[in-house]
Amino acid sequence: MVGTLIPQEVSSIGENHFSLIYIFPPMRFRNLQSILSWELKNHSVVPTHYTLWYTIMSKPEDMKVVKDCINITRSFCDLTHVWVNTTDMYVSRVVGFREKAELVSCMGSFFLESDRPLDPPEFEIVSFTNHISVNVKFQSVDPRILNEEELQFYLAFIEEHEGNSVKRHQPQITGNITENFNYVIDKLIPNTNYCVSVYFEPKDPRKINRSPLKCTLFQPRRESESSESATIGGIITLFLITAVFISTVMILKRIGYICLRNDFPKVLNFRKLSVWVFPELPPLEKVATVEVIHINRKKKVWNYNYDDESDVENEAAPCVNSGGYTKHGLMGRLCPASTTSASLEDCSDHSAEEPYLPEPKGDAETPMAPGPGPWQSEGTSGGYQTRGTLQQDPTSEEDSDSTERSEGRIVFNVNLNSVCVRALEDDKDSEVTLMSPSRPEETVVLEDLNETESSLLVASEERTQLPFTDPSMECLRPQDAPSDQSDTSESDVDMGDGYIVRQVNLKKFN
Amino acid sequence: MTYRCLLQMVLLLCFSTRALSMNYSLLRFQQRRSDTVCQKLLRQLPSTPQHCLEVRMDFQVPEEMRQAQQFRKEDAVLVIYEMLQQIFGILTRDFSSTGWSETIVEDLLVELQGQMDHLEPIQKEIMQKKNFTMGDMTVPHLKKYYINLGQYLKSKDYNSCAWAVVRAEMLRNFSFLKSLTEYLRD
Repeated sequence: MVGTLIPQEVSSIGENHFSLIYIFPPMRFRNLQSILSWELKNHSVVPTHYTLWYTIMSKPEDMKVVKDCINITRSFCDLTHVWVNTTDMYVSRVVGFREKAELVSCMGSFFLESDRPLDPPEFEIVSFTNHISVNVKFQSVDPRILNEEELQFYLAFIEEHEGNSVKRHQPQITGNITENFNYVIDKLIPNTNYCVSVYFEPKDPRKINRSPLKCTLFQPRRESESSESATIGGIITLFLITAVFISTVMILKRIGYICLRNDFPKVLNFRKLSVWVFPELPPLEKVATVEVIHINRKKKVWNYNYDDESDVENEAAPCVNSGGYTKHGLMGRLCPASTTSASLEDCSDHSAEEPYLPEPKGDAETPMAPGPGPWQSEGTSGGYQTRGTLQQDPTSEEDSDSTERSEGRIVFNVNLNSVCVRALEDDKDSEVTLMSPSRPEETVVLEDLNETESSLLVASEERTQLPFTDPSMECLRPQDAPSDQSDTSESDVDMGDGYIVRQVNLKKFN
Repeated sequence: MTYRCLLQMVLLLCFSTRALSMNYSLLRFQQRRSDTVCQKLLRQLPSTPQHCLEVRMDFQVPEEMRQAQQFRKEDAVLVIYEMLQQIFGILTRDFSSTGWSETIVEDLLVELQGQMDHLEPIQKEIMQKKNFTMGDMTVPHLKKYYINLGQYLKSKDYNSCAWAVVRAEMLRNFSFLKSLTEYLRD
């Protein structure tokens, strides 16, 4: 189908009237061709040949003849290569001749850019349950002829043919249109055949270039409404489910049930590989051995000072009550085990400075002279000898001994149950005075050291083994020995670890 | 805190850029629509230019318009605004001898004014920033062209043939405007 353009005014010579028609070839060839054609309305006098002239309105130029359209017998002329400026207004003149006489003349003005008629676009129709969709393809329109914005003004009357009635639709095009435009025709009568035609609104309302009709039978489905309602219900249900799910997640997160933040301190961050590969050694700590010495402190202080000027330095260290035994330390210098007799004498000399080692008096012969022997033996026993006052551990609980002081002698009581004395194994001369822990308490009274040799009574720990000798007793014993010895009865009980418990019945000295 | 501000700044920059690009795109769409409407209204005004070939005149359209050279969008805005303003001035003259419908002419003037209102903010901004590289003679040539049109109408006593010739020039002007509108792109 070709498009035609009728000039705004046609003038003719003579009684015959011309109808000048500007024809545009179909756009399917995508060629912008301009063909001007003309036809006679009155066929009483027919020209034998025609000649075409033209000019433009923008310049006062003379009419120009179209070389290809001089004395032509056809009734059209191709002006594609003549009318090239689409922004100019062209004025054409066609003169019909019969032999050499001019019979008719026709003039017209054309503004190609806006006057070019548009071929209808291609389109497709699809019938749905309750409507017909018309899909117009604009890519078939040459953009040089009609751009996107012009489409909304010149598109597109869609005619709906129902039987003999025609209903026109003018779609509203908004925004940019690049390829296709879809228009929906609804409110249709079921089981009715509908035909659709699409065309552009012509510049000249006298001529409309319609497209061929495309028809479809509209047959709606009964379940269309139910499908729509089902679709709507499904969408609403999905929306509700989504909303509930989201709100649940938000609530759980808010109360801390999920997505707990673990803000561990840095020290608990084990992600560093270097920490695992090269674990940092803890800093070296100073280790010191600590020996815990449990000392029971008692208010009651037993002081066995023989002399008032007791030398504090000579006081033995407080004894630790270990194993249930009370250690009584004698005041005086501790002489080493390897002390010879000379040194022992030194000790004795030193002990002279010790006030609590009085010189033996009177009848009491100190056994010191013969003492080295036994002293030495005692010394070689590996223990220490002390001379001096016997000092009781003030914290000892078992010491229920009491001291009595009288002039010239010191008397102290020793709880036999709390004292153990180690017996010297190789010392024949040694004499061990033992106490039995199981025995009831017996008091042992020792003579004043001033008169007699100091008696040694040391209850030592495991290391120190201080034999107890009672030189005075020895000495005394020779004197009174028969009587004393006869008065004593001894029995030995080995307690183990060098200690012997001897049950001794001692005579109480006055 | 800094990263939050940075993100907001980036978003604002992107949106502002997008907004500016949409301004020119919207302007281009509006201008093309306006050009088509105006041409359609002009075509509705009856005229017989083929009878007025003797009173034709060359009004000397600026060569920049005829040659369809490359324009920057800022320059295109200035030229379009000037042309719309001048066409508006021409169409407000006496056209009583033409028999034209005043309604159609009024619709045409309304369309021209609306399009000028869309262009005015950008036109003022460009003039203030002097962000145009157009030669100094383009706008004066345009002014001279439209002065010639006005003087022509006045010399012909605003008769129908004069208005037919001027109407033909208006149709050419809107073709030029369509070409200039294509430069309103980002």
